[in-house]
Amino acid sequence: MSLKRIMLLSQFELTRLFATKRGWLALAAFIMVWLMILRYPIYHSVSVLNSPEFSDIAVQIAGSVGLYSLARWPEAELSVYWIIALFSFPVFTLFVSADQTVEDSKRGTLRFLTLRATRSEIMLGRFAGQALILLALILASALATWVLMLTRDTALAFSGLGKLTSIIAFLVLTTLPFIALMSLLNLLASSARLSIIYASLLFTVGNLLIGYLVSHIELADWLYYLLPGVHISSIAPWYNIDWHAIVIPLLQSLALLSAAYWLMKRKDL
Amino acid sequence: MSTSTSFVIEVNELTKHFGSKCALDKVSFTIDQGHTIALVGPNGAGKTTLFSILCGFLRADSGAVRVLGHTPGDSSLFGVLSALPQDAQLDPRFSVGKQLTFYGQLQGLSRAQAQHETARVLEQVDLSNQINAKASELSHGMRKRICIAQALIGKPRIVLLDEATAGLDPINAKAIRTLVADLSKDMTFILSSHDLSELERLCDTVLYLEQGKLTSHQRYGQNGSDTAYLTLQVKQPDSQMQSHIARLDGVKHVRQSQPDEFVIEYDTHQVALDIALLELCHHHGWVYKQLINGNTLENQLFATP
Repeated sequence: MSLKRIMLLSQFELTRLFATKRGWLALAAFIMVWLMILRYPIYHSVSVLNSPEFSDIAVQIAGSVGLYSLARWPEAELSVYWIIALFSFPVFTLFVSADQTVEDSKRGTLRFLTLRATRSEIMLGRFAGQALILLALILASALATWVLMLTRDTALAFSGLGKLTSIIAFLVLTTLPFIALMSLLNLLASSARLSIIYASLLFTVGNLLIGYLVSHIELADWLYYLLPGVHISSIAPWYNIDWHAIVIPLLQSLALLSAAYWLMKRKDL
Repeated sequence: MSTSTSFVIEVNELTKHFGSKCALDKVSFTIDQGHTIALVGPNGAGKTTLFSILCGFLRADSGAVRVLGHTPGDSSLFGVLSALPQDAQLDPRFSVGKQLTFYGQLQGLSRAQAQHETARVLEQVDLSNQINAKASELSHGMRKRICIAQALIGKPRIVLLDEATAGLDPINAKAIRTLVADLSKDMTFILSSHDLSELERLCDTVLYLEQGKLTSHQRYGQNGSDTAYLTLQVKQPDSQMQSHIARLDGVKHVRQSQPDEFVIEYDTHQVALDIALLELCHHHGWVYKQLINGNTLENQLFATP
């Protein structure tokens, strides 16, 4: 396996977002959505969290849904950003990484590539490229939130930077199994759109099915670990985050990529 | 690159099924360095399947394939074996130049070398002016030529072209044939096409596939026997022609392969049969269209007794 070819393939993925018209449009839409999120939900939530009249009520409400620790952060913008990003980026990831190999396979472009790179290199290169894209987008939105926070209180700059780094790391880690899931679904579906539909079915019907099984067989509880994002609810409160939060998404990514690799090796192009 | 075999390609007992349909049935052949091979057969005969297995796009059910001593898809073959897969297209969102340069880089070239190589191969297919065009902006014929150009990046040793001239206008088809003829001195080409006259001009070896079986593997133009062929095409054949030709010295057998075509099998010791044949035409006032030294590929493959 050549690291150089994997890097070349992942760099080419970056140009898909940053050097094509469709990529620019997607980027513009992403920026607009996050500007709205920063301007309204985050900005107003912070006003509520910091206001003397509502802060106690807000903390109580947050506490009732297990977010007590977050509601007490002085860097309130980051706490609201964390919750919104933690639940929105995984969904966003499904759309962003919906076309890793499937459209190239349909068009025959993958044949040109397999004459120059192994199937595993192509798969890992595309995965790495998508991870870099998500890293860039998470970084941009997180930094924008940090800047918004500085406009309120510059004294929070350094304490905010520490939290920001952890938030970015956890968000990237959380999106990895979702990208890996799309790598796998790209090999099962016949189009990017169908890959998204399969993913939607997995998270809805799959969840219901596991819930039904758990009601009959207690051990079936472990099946939840097959679903990317299973750890999200446990890390959302930012309280007692242990090694599971790191290991689960990494193991899920590894398992999904291994399954994708197995399929990719056997796939007729 | 070191290879453990003198053959460029070795195929042994290759079998591939698609469901219940047998696409390739125990196909075996070898190809030596420096030959240009025609892969011929009717639609659905298994030509594209064979191409795809040689390139590593498909896995065989059984049998062995070695390309320069390596299994298809092996990284040792990157930049060494190249192909124009049937119906494969470049990504319509990127420029031709960007994609070809990227392919060159994947083959191990530096960015500058890959850019230079891109310019070179586009020049070879006469599309230098399309380097910044997106694949979606090009005509079908142009896209085909661009795909041929990608197969020439890095001067590979083996090039497989599946229906390279299908859909091209006569001028561009001729240009591609000329290009293949020029490059075949340094590269081993395997061409699949339904245009037998094209293959006849370019290839010295024929693989004929029919219903997944390799029914013929022959070289022409190198027959060491004492029998040779002339093919005579006339404008207005008459019923006496065949018998008149058969009476010429050295003629072993005359067969009417088409209403206006005779295949004459003769003894090679009769060196001037072509002259005698033309004199016969002149003597009887027969107007001939073409006299071919040899048997046409079409007659070899589809000869009717």
